[in-house]
Parts: sequence; structure tokens; C-alpha cells
Amino acid sequence: MSGAGIKLELQRSAETKAKLQVLLVEDNPADAELMLRELRKDGFEVSTTVVRTPGEFQRRIREESPDIILADYNLGEWRGVEALQILQAEGIDIPVIMVTGALGDVAAVECIKQGATDYVLKDGLARLPEAIRSALREKHERSLRHQAEGDLARKVEELARSNADLEQFAYVASHDLQEPLRMVVAYTQLLSERYHGKLDADADKFLGYASEGAQRMQVLIHDLLAFSRIGRQDAVSENVDCKVVVEEVLQALASATRESGAVVTHTVLPAVWANRTQVAQVFQNLIQNAIKFRGKEPPLISIQAEKAGQQWRFSVSDNGIGIAPEYAENIFVVFQRLHARGEYPGNGIGLAICKKIVERYGGRIWVEAQPGSGSIFKFTLPSRGPDERVGARP
Amino acid sequence: MKPAHDILVVDDNPADVALLCEALAGSKHRSQVNSVSDGVEAMALLNRRDKYTNAIRPDLVILDLNLPKKDGLAVLAAMKAGPELRRIPVVIFSTSQLRSDIVRSYEMGANCYVSKPGNLNDFFSAVKSIEEFWFSFVHLPPRGE
Repeated sequence: MSGAGIKLELQRSAETKAKLQVLLVEDNPADAELMLRELRKDGFEVSTTVVRTPGEFQRRIREESPDIILADYNLGEWRGVEALQILQAEGIDIPVIMVTGALGDVAAVECIKQGATDYVLKDGLARLPEAIRSALREKHERSLRHQAEGDLARKVEELARSNADLEQFAYVASHDLQEPLRMVVAYTQLLSERYHGKLDADADKFLGYASEGAQRMQVLIHDLLAFSRIGRQDAVSENVDCKVVVEEVLQALASATRESGAVVTHTVLPAVWANRTQVAQVFQNLIQNAIKFRGKEPPLISIQAEKAGQQWRFSVSDNGIGIAPEYAENIFVVFQRLHARGEYPGNGIGLAICKKIVERYGGRIWVEAQPGSGSIFKFTLPSRGPDERVGARP
Repeated sequence: MKPAHDILVVDDNPADVALLCEALAGSKHRSQVNSVSDGVEAMALLNRRDKYTNAIRPDLVILDLNLPKKDGLAVLAAMKAGPELRRIPVVIFSTSQLRSDIVRSYEMGANCYVSKPGNLNDFFSAVKSIEEFWFSFVHLPPRGE
């Protein structure tokens, strides 16, 4: 917050002659008078209430909400520190300045610990006005910060809600779209099969297009459903051994690996804290891509992991066709494709799924690549779950 | 030649019923397919009530879950609650692949759960397999007892 803004506010309150409401916790009238004199001398317009007992203090802070509290440390029957405790118990934010006779270091530290903004010695009262100004400034900043935090929390909540709505919408929409689409797919297929060659050549071609389109849409909807399911609640996190997962994935991809002549190697792979199926999905999509977007040579794919703070940073590198740097962000957006369907099949959902999964666990995914010289996909996953929330992660 | 079997299809989507008949057309089992489009009709037929007093009790029920008036699970529950109807095997045939639907169906006594494939050939082979399994390999409860 800029100092200029606060200065302006203080000036304005001076201009409108708004009096500074001071609550004095003081049992010595002479001392009280000295303080007020000091303030007036400095140009403060002050309206004062003096309290002597804890009960009175409590009532005044509830009813009058003063701008500032000036409290003596030794008050005969009680001590100014207790006033701090009452204030805290009431949850009221009013700056307190301890105004005391000689105060030892221990007592001073105790006051600040209990929430006093400052302390001023009675034989150094000249410092009081500045102490008050600075306390008010702090209070103002605190309330601005508090408000900003509140705004932010509300925005985050709104965003989370609208995200959840959107996910729910994608889920329901794609789920309900499947049913009528199934009819279109089945009946265009039936038409093509039964009437192939019985109509003219155009009819066969048209039916073929309609049927292909419907089937492609089916795959898209299936993928969209898979994508929207990632954020849903049912994927439980556990300790997942990536070595085992990667080996299972390689087994599942065995025929693709064999056909392409791909060689996949990996270093020692650690365990991460995430959902097993989703971790497998990330590795599978990245390895599949490395095979799909291969260059002229058979694919060489290597998987590595290194520790990065609380996370593991994995990399999947290949010797494929690479990616121009200007597309390095785009490729993670759902249904974004860089190649014609005929060139490389696919819907452009694989990397979007990877991104959504990795981000679900607070990780990040990115690519380091140049066209023609292979790609290195990197992503991070947490090395272990927060202990206090084990098993409770959504 | 073996006598024909009767299948009751409970499905509110005429396009699915037609596909099912397509799939079974020309099969060696010569299954008779009868269809109703909601759960209330299904129960009336099975209990031979109203206009169904002369209806034949089916050998197999192919039951969709999402039905008007009385949904598939309610039909299943009603069937499994009656001493006569409970022996008729029920194949749940639904688009839903929801875990909860699958679990509920088995809990309530479904004999198997098949989800409707999106692709024509897969749909045909699913239906043909259901027919082949229940009418070639399975000993069905004797009729008319």
C-alpha cells in the first residue's frame, strides 16, 4: 500500500476535524493529562475516555470502538498486559500503545508479544504522537490487506465453483451426447453395409463420410469424458512406484514398440504420491507420443527422474520430429493438433490429459524441443503426500 | 430343430430394439423377440395382466436401465421378488458404464451386465453372443412350471 494514500487519509481526517478517539487505560490523572497535552501540542484533535478497571475497559472497547488505546503497564489492581488479552479475546483490532514508567526488556517484549503495537516511556512522551501515527498507519494497512485477502479468497472460491460447474457440464453434456450419437453411428454403419453398391457411387461416398464423422465424434466425446473425469473425486492418491508403472505401460505398448522398432530405456525411477492409474496415463501418453511422432530413425526413448525439492522431476526424451518452440504451450491445450489428421492420427487430447493430471497434484509439465532434433517432455509430481492429509487428497 | 426361444426386450428406444432384431435376424436360434417400452408394461406382460393375459413368458429378459414410468432396476427388483419371475435370467443392456449401475444391478440379482457398444459391429456381436450363450450353453429353467 502506498504511503501517499495513507497520508491523504490522515490529512482528510484532520481537515474534517474528526477527533481521534483515544481510550486511556490509566489510573493516574496527572499522567493522563500529560499525554493529552503532548497530543494536542502536536495538533491532534482528541476525544478521550479514561478507564481504570478491566470491566470498564471491556465495555468501552465494545461500545465505543476507539481509534487507539494508550495503556499504562502498572495499574495498581491490574496490568496493561491484561487489556491486551481482553482485546484479543474480544477479537477487536484496535492498536494499543503501552505508555509506562521504566519498563524492563522482559516486560517490553511481553507487551509486544501480546499484541501491543509500540511502547512509549512516560519520560519520553514527545515520541507519542509519532507512535500513534505509525500505529494508525499500520492498522490501516492491516485492514486493506485483510480486505484484499478476503477479496482474493472470494475470487478463488468463485473460480473453483465455476470450474466445478464447467467440469460437471462437460461430463453431463458428453455423457448425454453419447446416446443419440450411438444411433447415428449404428444406423449410418447399417446403411453403408446394407446398401453399399446398391445406390450410386456418390451415395456410398456420402454415407462413408457421415459414418466416419459420427465415429470420430464418438471418439472425441469419449476423450472429453475421460478428460473431464480427471478432476472428479474418485481417484485416490497413494504411494506409486513409477518403475513398476512404467514397466506395465511398456508392456501395454509392446506391439506399438515392436512395430516401430522403438528402444525405451529408463534410469532408476522413484515413487510418487498420486493416483496410480493417472500416473500410468501420463507415462503412457508421453511414450505413445514419442513413438507416434518419430523421425526417420527408430525411436530412442529415455525416461529419467531427478529430485527437485519436495517433487520428482521426470523427463521423457525422444529423437523424434520435435516441436517448434512457438507451439510449446499450445500442445497442452485440449484438442490442439499441429498436424493434419492424415499425417498423424489422434484428437489432440493426450497432452491435455497429462497436463490436467500433473496439475491436479500441484505439478507442472512442459516441453523442451526443437524441430528436427527430438523432444524432451518434463513434468513434476510430489514425492510424498502431506502427512497430515494422507489418504484425504481429492 | 429346437423350439424357438422367447426374448423380452424392455427398451424405450425403438432404434435399439430394431438393431437388436437386426442382430438376431437369421440366427439359428430363431428367437422370438417381443418388446415393450417401459417398466410398467414389462411387469404387466411378465405377470400376464391386462392386455397380456395370453402373453408367453420369456426365456430371457434383456432389460435397459433408463426406462420411463418404472426404471430398469425397479423392474429387476420386482422380478427377483416374485417366486416365478425370479428364475427368468435378466441381462441388463444399457449404455451406462457407471460403476454404481453395474454394482446395483448385480446386487439386485441381474444375471449379467452388458453395456451397449457404440459401434454397429460390436453391438451386433454383443447381442449375438448373449443369444448364443443363453440359448446354446446355458441350461434354462424348464418352461411352464
